[in-house]
Amino acid sequence: MWLPHPGRAVCVGERHAPLLLIIKWKGCRKALPVSTPCPHAVSPPWFARPDASTHAWWSLPLLAALKVQLDTKLFGQHLAKDVVLKAVMGFSNNPSPKKPLTLSLHGWAGTGKNFLSQILAEHVHPAGLRSKFVHLFLATLHFPYHDQLKRYKEQLQNWIRGNVTACPHSVFIFDEMDKMHPGLIDAIKPFLDYYEQVDGVSYRKAIFIFLSNAGGDLINKAALDFWTSGKHREEIQLKDLEPMLSVGVYNNKNSGLWHSSLVDRNLIDYFVPFLPLEHKHVKMCVRAEMMARGYAVDEKVVQAVADEMTFFPKEQKIYSDKGCKTVQAKLDIHEDAMTRDSKAKG
Amino acid sequence: MTAREEARGPAAGVSPRPAPASQLTVWSLRPALQENLDRKLFGQHLVNKVVVKAVKGFLNNTNAKKPLALSLHGWTGTGKNFVSKIVAESIYKRGLQSKYVHQFVATLHFPHAPSINLYKDQLQSWIRGNVSICPRSLFIFDEMDKMHAGLIDSIKPFLDYYELLDGVSYRQAIFIFLSNAGAEKITEVALDFWRNGRTREDIQLTDIQNALSVSVFNNKNSGFWHSTLIDRNLIDYFVPFLPLEYKHVKMCVRVEIESRGYVVDEDILTRIADEMTYFPREERIYSDKGCKTVDAKLDYYYDF
Repeated sequence: MWLPHPGRAVCVGERHAPLLLIIKWKGCRKALPVSTPCPHAVSPPWFARPDASTHAWWSLPLLAALKVQLDTKLFGQHLAKDVVLKAVMGFSNNPSPKKPLTLSLHGWAGTGKNFLSQILAEHVHPAGLRSKFVHLFLATLHFPYHDQLKRYKEQLQNWIRGNVTACPHSVFIFDEMDKMHPGLIDAIKPFLDYYEQVDGVSYRKAIFIFLSNAGGDLINKAALDFWTSGKHREEIQLKDLEPMLSVGVYNNKNSGLWHSSLVDRNLIDYFVPFLPLEHKHVKMCVRAEMMARGYAVDEKVVQAVADEMTFFPKEQKIYSDKGCKTVQAKLDIHEDAMTRDSKAKG
Repeated sequence: MTAREEARGPAAGVSPRPAPASQLTVWSLRPALQENLDRKLFGQHLVNKVVVKAVKGFLNNTNAKKPLALSLHGWTGTGKNFVSKIVAESIYKRGLQSKYVHQFVATLHFPHAPSINLYKDQLQSWIRGNVSICPRSLFIFDEMDKMHAGLIDSIKPFLDYYELLDGVSYRQAIFIFLSNAGAEKITEVALDFWRNGRTREDIQLTDIQNALSVSVFNNKNSGFWHSTLIDRNLIDYFVPFLPLEYKHVKMCVRVEIESRGYVVDEDILTRIADEMTYFPREERIYSDKGCKTVDAKLDYYYDF
């Protein structure tokens, strides 16, 4: 765990960094300004009464806020929004869930999987990824060598066990599932299962999110079929995609879930598909980025940036190759035009 | 104290509070960067535009979603290292000597293919450690075409759109990748323009960018071959360097003579420029080595 060395030279251009340095000087993550205690951190399980708190640990206003955030920030993913809201609402209203919430997010690059998982994490723990109760694992970064599989399995199990003991509402995000060794995910299967307790620790309130590109091509194909048959994007239903997705991901050797017992045992609660983004969604991303930077929204610039993106398939050119990625970079190129306009107006 | 040395601007080195945007020194960086590129870099009108806007836009963006990743491609001697040096100098007071600027040369730092796992570990640790000390670090990777294809994949996580990775945010760092890969493609485009009688300045970024991205991806010698960097679109800008023509070589010679304090003798200038070899065989437009070996030739002619 890397901590910045306190008292080092102030490096150039630090705007947010100085604030971070103060915080980190005070000690590992303890004094984060927005850190809240783990929601409903109760005493160790063996002291808990059989019928735990009967009210939902997520209040309705919080869920409404989640809906608003998803509506305003996530573009073009009506399915994902629906599923996630229902999943989270169901999970939170359930006073005693039978198993941890397990979401598997699949889709093309740049469609918003990481974004959605961050929004989710922020709603459970306001500090989001900075919270010590939210854990992000990257297959290529944390588990790079396949010959060390045994060690990774052990470490991962210990990490999950330890953190869920400390906070039953921990959130675990596993990114790049398609790059993960198939055996590694099997190691956490016991935690996702319908056990009341495993070695004295209950995992029923934890949330596990798996992100991957696997199945992205299947989703794209389905979306394209809908488009060519003249139907609206919003008409795509989960039932159209879910069964095909599950089998496709299961059989795909590059999916981290290949032949995994996760799919076997139906331990994944929801397969959340992310549809590829269209031209209009890319424009929404550009607009949002311009507003975030404080510029006036200039439709000409929006159009120019959106046109610069590449689209597939070759003939129809409907879906963006990179989703909303690289939009920021392209905006920088057009920035001169924007600053001129905003200066003229304001 | 090093803190004072390295810090720029009124707000730095004093109490650590985020400086208001108007006081930030980045506003004063842009003229210097643009000016230096205009004065010192010859024949690269595309580079001028892209690099200045990219760096300026990135530094001014308080809410960058990912670190800036520039990939400079082009013929040898066209100014790739030079540009990265200028960029480093415009951001950091001590330029390439700054301890926040890290330069990796593939053939020097990662020479042995069997030790690739060791290199991966070390590289990740180095980047992680330095970015946690200084979020605004600059990493320059030279000779990307000589780098083992898998090695760059190991830093992919740092270039991605993550807010935090193990408690460290990489969103303010800058990564510059230099390589010769794609140079043939660029030369092809430039030659086409020349043969169709169009000026060099007519060449637009879009003409080259798409062709470059695909050719670099498929080139087994490019450090990026089949790398997830391209897959995931983690490179923000592909910056092409056009091969230099006769007139640019003369400009290089002139600058070199002036920097040494000699009197500019047009005759010697022409002779030196003529001595350089040019390609293609028939047209002989572009210098084989760009502006390299110019100073060596100068020594030959000016024998004081």
